[in-house]
Amino acid sequence: LVDKCTGSRIHIVMKSDKEILGTLLGFDDFVNTVLEDVTEFEITPEGRRITKLDQILLNGNNITMV
Amino acid sequence: MASVGGGGGGANKMADKEKKKKESILDLSKYIDKTIRVKFQGGREASGVLKGFDPLLNLVLDGTIEYMRDPDDQYKLTEDTRQLGLVVCRGTSVVLICPQDGMEAIPNPFIQQQDG
Repeated sequence: LVDKCTGSRIHIVMKSDKEILGTLLGFDDFVNTVLEDVTEFEITPEGRRITKLDQILLNGNNITMV
Repeated sequence: MASVGGGGGGANKMADKEKKKKESILDLSKYIDKTIRVKFQGGREASGVLKGFDPLLNLVLDGTIEYMRDPDDQYKLTEDTRQLGLVVCRGTSVVLICPQDGMEAIPNPFIQQQDG
């Protein structure tokens, strides 16, 4: 299912109150994901963090929802 | 040790299946298309209709509602809810799965855990 999302914008929720929006470039068996054009959000204070472009590798260990 | 009988039958057939690897202790296929409640590490809770799952306990939920706990919330299930549409929940952070309607008993899965 996640495979169908490659190339789409996705919204990843971490175990902590942090969310990441970005374009899914790829992932592996452990669901470590590579994202592009990424914006990072903190849920509670409702503040947007750094908008990071280039690419990021997000460690799948802390991902709760996709 | 006495085994606890669950609601469903087929306890004898389960003994044969235990020899195979990667057998789930909980059969999720009976929850497909039913609304379930899932709790995560970190205190999140979500409800949704179970659309799919895998042996690693990753779940696909539809029409998901997510609840979060506030410091003063404890277990109030506040109005801090969000609607997410179709989500994939990581099995590594799932701590509890139960039907939205209530709980049901399953046969004790830990009887023959001698292999380690």
